Amino acid sequence: MMIPGGVLMIFVIVVPVLLGLYMSVLSLDQYTLRQWLSAPFAGPANYIEAVTDSPLLKSFWISLSFAVLSTAAAVPLGIAAALATQNYFPGRAVVRSIFLIPYVMPSFVVATVWRTMFQPDGVIVNGLHSLGITSTLWLNGPNSYWTLVFVEIWASWPFIYLLALAGLQSVDHDVHEASALDGASWWPKLRYVVFPYLKGPVALACVIATLNHINNFALPFVLFGIPAPDDVQTLPILTYSTTFESFRFGLGAAMAFSSLILLAIPLIIYVRAVKLDVDEGADK
Amino acid sequence: METRRTRFTTLTAALAITALVVTACSGSTATNSPSASTNTPIAAANTPSAAPIATPTATPIDGTGKTLTVLISADGKYGAQQQQWFKDVSAAFQKQTGATVVFQTFASGSEELTKIQTSVVAGQGPDIYVVGTTFTPTAYSTGAFVSLTPDNWNQVGGKDKFVQADLGISGPSATDQVGIPYTSGPFVMAYNTDLLAKAGIATPATTWDGLAAQAKQLTGNGVYGMAIGYKDGFDPWKFIWAMSRQAGNPIIAGKVAKVDDPTTLKAYQTYFGWLTTDHVVDPASVGWNDGQALAAFASGKAAFFPMSTTSNIPTLKTSAVKDTYKFALMPVVPPGATTLPADGVGATSILAGNNIVVAKYSKNQDLAFALVKYLTDDSNQQVLFNTFGTMPVNQTTFKAVTTSNPALGPILDSAASSVATPFSGAWADTQLALMNVVVQTIPDLSAGSVSDSKLQSLLTAAQKTAQASLDKAP
Repeated sequence: MMIPGGVLMIFVIVVPVLLGLYMSVLSLDQYTLRQWLSAPFAGPANYIEAVTDSPLLKSFWISLSFAVLSTAAAVPLGIAAALATQNYFPGRAVVRSIFLIPYVMPSFVVATVWRTMFQPDGVIVNGLHSLGITSTLWLNGPNSYWTLVFVEIWASWPFIYLLALAGLQSVDHDVHEASALDGASWWPKLRYVVFPYLKGPVALACVIATLNHINNFALPFVLFGIPAPDDVQTLPILTYSTTFESFRFGLGAAMAFSSLILLAIPLIIYVRAVKLDVDEGADK
Repeated sequence: METRRTRFTTLTAALAITALVVTACSGSTATNSPSASTNTPIAAANTPSAAPIATPTATPIDGTGKTLTVLISADGKYGAQQQQWFKDVSAAFQKQTGATVVFQTFASGSEELTKIQTSVVAGQGPDIYVVGTTFTPTAYSTGAFVSLTPDNWNQVGGKDKFVQADLGISGPSATDQVGIPYTSGPFVMAYNTDLLAKAGIATPATTWDGLAAQAKQLTGNGVYGMAIGYKDGFDPWKFIWAMSRQAGNPIIAGKVAKVDDPTTLKAYQTYFGWLTTDHVVDPASVGWNDGQALAAFASGKAAFFPMSTTSNIPTLKTSAVKDTYKFALMPVVPPGATTLPADGVGATSILAGNNIVVAKYSKNQDLAFALVKYLTDDSNQQVLFNTFGTMPVNQTTFKAVTTSNPALGPILDSAASSVATPFSGAWADTQLALMNVVVQTIPDLSAGSVSDSKLQSLLTAAQKTAQASLDKAP
């Protein structure tokens, strides 16, 4: 029974990863592209260059902070929306559908729309101006980072909402009844009865959402273009630019694997902290 | 044991997912970066008619049962006409040789690069690639495209049939070439004749300093002297290159990058100075691309519009200034000078447009060169000019267009006096580094001041990038 899954895993994950790993130790660029896997062996040179002589570490912090901030902001939004639409009210299906619009829109569409609105003479700048806030530059300079965070939150919060909603559906009706009989008010009921049911789905949503944020290439690419402003040069943008604009395929692969190691550390810590890697049976 | 296994499985899965997202992220494509050089519509968007089949001078080729694939940029403005042109070319070439021609299009520069890179690695793909002129050095450096022999040139009709200036970026030397000129799209400057006449200016200046002085004179009452798109993803480096070249700095000289040369610093200072010190451009242009700068000029809000693409001309023809604009060559005397320095080159434009390269792996190279001949012959070049507005690279067509379109004189002059960017595999990186200086300066520009120290530090970083890329070149 494990064989089909194992074969799939080998071809879909193991082979590409090993190939990428091998490319990362080659001097593979436009001059050696035709040789591909026969390109000159570079050893650890690409890794050394990636870590010591490229913006990789800066991009790593930009990506990580942007992803964590986006997730942190999306969680309360998603949970609040799930709670608001849990109980039936007329038009609930319509509201639930509207909530999903940002999530189902392709990233490049989202980015194109927001890029238009964030133009120096766009609706957002004009709107802020009417409120007395004079800032015209949202697609370059330090503000571009917050533009990226804001648009990412806008596009991704429905994912948290979906998983929180799924978690809420799993709360037994009896539990609601029992807490009502005990006279629990809304906050204690939420805090001690409902939230424990959400812990698992929301923790999982946090991991997936954070990885999605880190992986989001289309959003910063379309919002800011290439070369990207320094403040929004995320890992995908840096890797793309190095690989496909500068033709440093080996260095790009080394950057990707360096990123993997850097990201794996906080990921493992988080997965262990929220016990996503431990099934319920093992706890008993 | 079960717990450990579960933990291991979960962690492995998590790592695998992370690995996939990290490694796969750069494989995406998106849609905002057009190819380095795109078609340049000028004439009305007529429905193309098939060019008459040129009588082949070489031995007729039998391509019966064979298929040629051509990779070419999708024309966003004239999509329907391009599709029709594809059909016409296929039909005409099939009639001529019996071969089928299939056109594949790409919508963005990143899509083009991905296609070329995968084809080069796989050793299979399109037979013919239409690439931007500034990409030709990179294509050459891959070694994946046919190095043109005298026989190959004869197959496409001989070198003499081309505008000789257009051969300037076909290869590193006159005897080592991969790119066959296909279309041309030189820079030119549009100016508002009414505004200049009111200010008592007879003709645009031929020096950058003179142009800035005229622009100051023309600025006021809601009108700015110049329309510039500082936020454009492709244009800014072209001005920097032109000014540097005019001052005697080729940016790349052999194996030495000269990005941090004082002439380049002066070029950036001049380019940014139009906004920060001369105040001859609209402050909003910090966020403008080329299209927005065009809109400002087309609405009569700017007196000069230095254009890096002739594809803007159809818009001008139907704009509020349709009867009050003319073209002139861009200044050729560098900032701070009154005459061209001894080592300077009077570059009016980079050698802009498209070249054709033929893949080495193609099994139908003779057939491919026959198609290239057809595409670059006078008949098809006429069709391209009339349908898409691209400037001809064929001598005969060029002369005919010059005679019948006197208003386009400056554009054709610019085409003839264009100067090629350095033919180096490091050029793509260098170009990106030059663009990056502008991108990272936008916040300062928006604040109204760009310090020399900031500019110098950005140029130092750009120099490092360019030199590192040059050092890797064989």
